[in-house]
Amino acid sequence: MSHIHIDVKDVCFGYDRNKNVLENISFHASENDSIGIIGANGAGKSTLLKLLVGLYTDFEGSIRVEEIPVQKDTLRHIREKIGYVFQDSESQLFMSTVREDVAFAPANYGLPESEVEKRVNNALEMVNVTHLADRPIYKLSGGEKKLVSIATILSMTPDIILMDEPSVSLDPRNRRNLISILNSFEHLKIIASHDIDFIKQTCSRTILMAGGKIVCEGATKDIIGNEQLLLENGL
Amino acid sequence: MSKIEGAIHEIHAMDAMASEDKWINKLHPLVKLLVTFIYIFIVVSFDSTDINGLLSMILYPVLIFITAELDLKMCLKRLRIVLPLVCLVGLFNPFFDREILFYAGSVGITRGMITMVTLIIKGVFTVLAAYILIASSKIEDICRALRMLHVPKIFVTLILLIYRYVTLFLQEVNRMTQAYALRAPNQKGISYKAWGSLAGLILLRAMDRASAVYESMCLRGFDGEFKRENSTQLCGNDWIYLISLSALILFLRYVHLFELVGNMIMK
Repeated sequence: MSHIHIDVKDVCFGYDRNKNVLENISFHASENDSIGIIGANGAGKSTLLKLLVGLYTDFEGSIRVEEIPVQKDTLRHIREKIGYVFQDSESQLFMSTVREDVAFAPANYGLPESEVEKRVNNALEMVNVTHLADRPIYKLSGGEKKLVSIATILSMTPDIILMDEPSVSLDPRNRRNLISILNSFEHLKIIASHDIDFIKQTCSRTILMAGGKIVCEGATKDIIGNEQLLLENGL
Repeated sequence: MSKIEGAIHEIHAMDAMASEDKWINKLHPLVKLLVTFIYIFIVVSFDSTDINGLLSMILYPVLIFITAELDLKMCLKRLRIVLPLVCLVGLFNPFFDREILFYAGSVGITRGMITMVTLIIKGVFTVLAAYILIASSKIEDICRALRMLHVPKIFVTLILLIYRYVTLFLQEVNRMTQAYALRAPNQKGISYKAWGSLAGLILLRAMDRASAVYESMCLRGFDGEFKRENSTQLCGNDWIYLISLSALILFLRYVHLFELVGNMIMK
């Protein structure tokens, strides 16, 4: 297996040409890293994650996932390697039942039916929601939807997991459950959140963003321990 | 439950119905789609005054409703908006075509009346056939079957996404109208002054959510094709269903069942 890593170099991006939402973003993430991206609302965290998975490709600079540049003609390869969990689980889940939704990606990648079934069962087991397999999506609670949306990307067996505000709208028990599940994953994880406590419990490295720029990067305990730094950057 | 919530609930109920574990749900969507096409084609092919022959086509929906245990009452409830529209189609025929064909007592029955009834029956049968299809097959399966019939990818994707977006749109409408009602407790409905901004916002929010769903589909390998391994395999039951139902429909086209039964009784 190739060495799993993401290389982001001097990335600038704006939704319109006059104003950049991201300015000169550079960082490196390698295998087994667990990186938290923290920042106030509008800091550019979600946009950065969307760039990593190729939802926007018209950026300046370069993003490489295992040496493959993120650009229109490589999106299929990139998306096989990266699983992206949306902030809003409602948008992530669109099939009728949990099983069908989790099977959507492996089936779309043309895997044999037996392999699809195996992957679905594995993914559901990994997030402890096997009992929900045949339940209609609209009958799930917020916490269950979050876990199922993680299962939908685990069934792709990605090397890298990106999560956008995973702790939003979770009650304390579901939050604890999610933290322990995330900590059991050996994937390269990048989690964008303004839930500092959640990042503290799930990530070893943290990138602090403000106004579309990286303010600082380092060990989570150092950055989150610096109250003054957090206050200055709207956290 | 508000009307919008009711509509969302109906869509979910139809989804749940299509996912049930009945024999008809287990059939390959392609054979159900083909039988539906054949049935609709045959129903439409009847002459505009051939009520007698047309009525015998009721056997297919009756047979499926009974054997697949579909709830007719629920079906009529769900079709309550469509059926009156279907009936409207031929409403003006009696005014345009006044040629008297026969007398029922002293009342002259015109050609227009007959064609109106025929049109209504054709419409109702067509809608029932479509209902049987969507009550027994998930939208993804129907789209998969359409692709197998080489319907253009763009058209199939459009059907799939519209179906998804209808729910999203209704959810957004529900949220917005609830938010409005909570801040205007003494008002009935929505003031016309707010219609413009509300409609614009609903549209924008529904579009946002729709693009998020589409992104989610693309991130999981969707490119408009349905690539399930077993998507092309028909099994024995599928062939039996396709052949027997097609034969029945063709038989009903050329043998007027009610006339035949009537003659037998008279003899």
